[in-house]
Amino acid sequence: MFSRTALARAFALPIEQQCARFSVARACLHSTAAAASTTTKTTSTSPKNAHPTSPLTATPHVQTSSSTTSTTTSTSTSTSTSTTTTTSSSPIDLKKPVAPTFTSPLQLTQSLLAQLPQLTSQRPHYIVSHLHDRPYLLTQGDSIRLPFLMPKVKPGDVLRFNRASVLGSRDFSLKGSPYVDERLYECRVRVVGVDAEPLRVKEKTKRRRRHVQHIKSKHKYTLLRVMDVKIKTAEELLQEGAVVV
Amino acid sequence: MTVQGIRTVTSARNGVGAFILQCKRLDFHYCDWAGSSRGMVSFLKHHLPSFAKANPQIEIRVSPRPHKHPVIKGHYVNGREKAICVRNLEPEQIFNKANLLKAASGEKLKRTKKPIASLNESVRGIWDPYHGGFKSV
Repeated sequence: MFSRTALARAFALPIEQQCARFSVARACLHSTAAAASTTTKTTSTSPKNAHPTSPLTATPHVQTSSSTTSTTTSTSTSTSTSTTTTTSSSPIDLKKPVAPTFTSPLQLTQSLLAQLPQLTSQRPHYIVSHLHDRPYLLTQGDSIRLPFLMPKVKPGDVLRFNRASVLGSRDFSLKGSPYVDERLYECRVRVVGVDAEPLRVKEKTKRRRRHVQHIKSKHKYTLLRVMDVKIKTAEELLQEGAVVV
Repeated sequence: MTVQGIRTVTSARNGVGAFILQCKRLDFHYCDWAGSSRGMVSFLKHHLPSFAKANPQIEIRVSPRPHKHPVIKGHYVNGREKAICVRNLEPEQIFNKANLLKAASGEKLKRTKKPIASLNESVRGIWDPYHGGFKSV
């Protein structure tokens, strides 16, 4: 997804430093994706990965995340070497995403397994993602202006939306009751900046009083950009340890 | 021969692939003499080096502006600029203002009602009464 040279050119940094800075967040996100696979496959992988509640380090999971698309794996594996050297001291280290704690593997019914290829093969996809219980219908490349200021994020951060009610394409949709399992899809969003609205002035008056109060307010909003909306295919799900029931 | 425009194949969508911070330059203007610049001068001495180090992608210029109030100006990728007057502000307040300019998109402030803006075509298509199920028509 990244071109390393373009990034380095954009920010005029030495390339190792560049990769370290940006790959930490990415690598962590991959680790969550990989953790979903490793928690289910307890027998095949190393015993450390079998505990979903234990804190996840970035690198071993990046190596195991072979199920993601070819472009993302190439970036994550290439940058993983520099990540190991810098994660101990960087402040981003404190802000790792919460590791998913799945107790049971993803269960796919026979009907879902039969119908899923129709949905995954028809592109483009949309997702109705929920944030603070508000639905946002997203496609790739959309820009979102959230109706609030999201705390503890800064421009450049990557978020993964993990609550969706509908995944769909032109003719097919997969509805959750109320939400679709988050292991079925990947929806990543990047924080682009913070925007403000024009100053609003509210005139407040009381009766029989020749005085007008002017109340000023100027709210801030977080700007996001949808990086990708990906619905995993049945093969990928089975590879990540989904169980057919 | 008529002049024909070239159709754009793609449009820039910052953040989908690479992400570029929209603020490209911050200008700090101060006055050595005036009292309203006291906080600004202190900010430039003590806080600016760390701020600049933390944001290597932003060009930072410091220049005097005698007999005027101190100002921070942000220049953005889209060509616009934002200026904030920081007279009589404490260094911490100036730091917050600098962060505000750094995170801003550079666009003119607008009130929008819809949270999502999309360049893509509608995924589900336009509804048509003559196609699909006729049960409800």
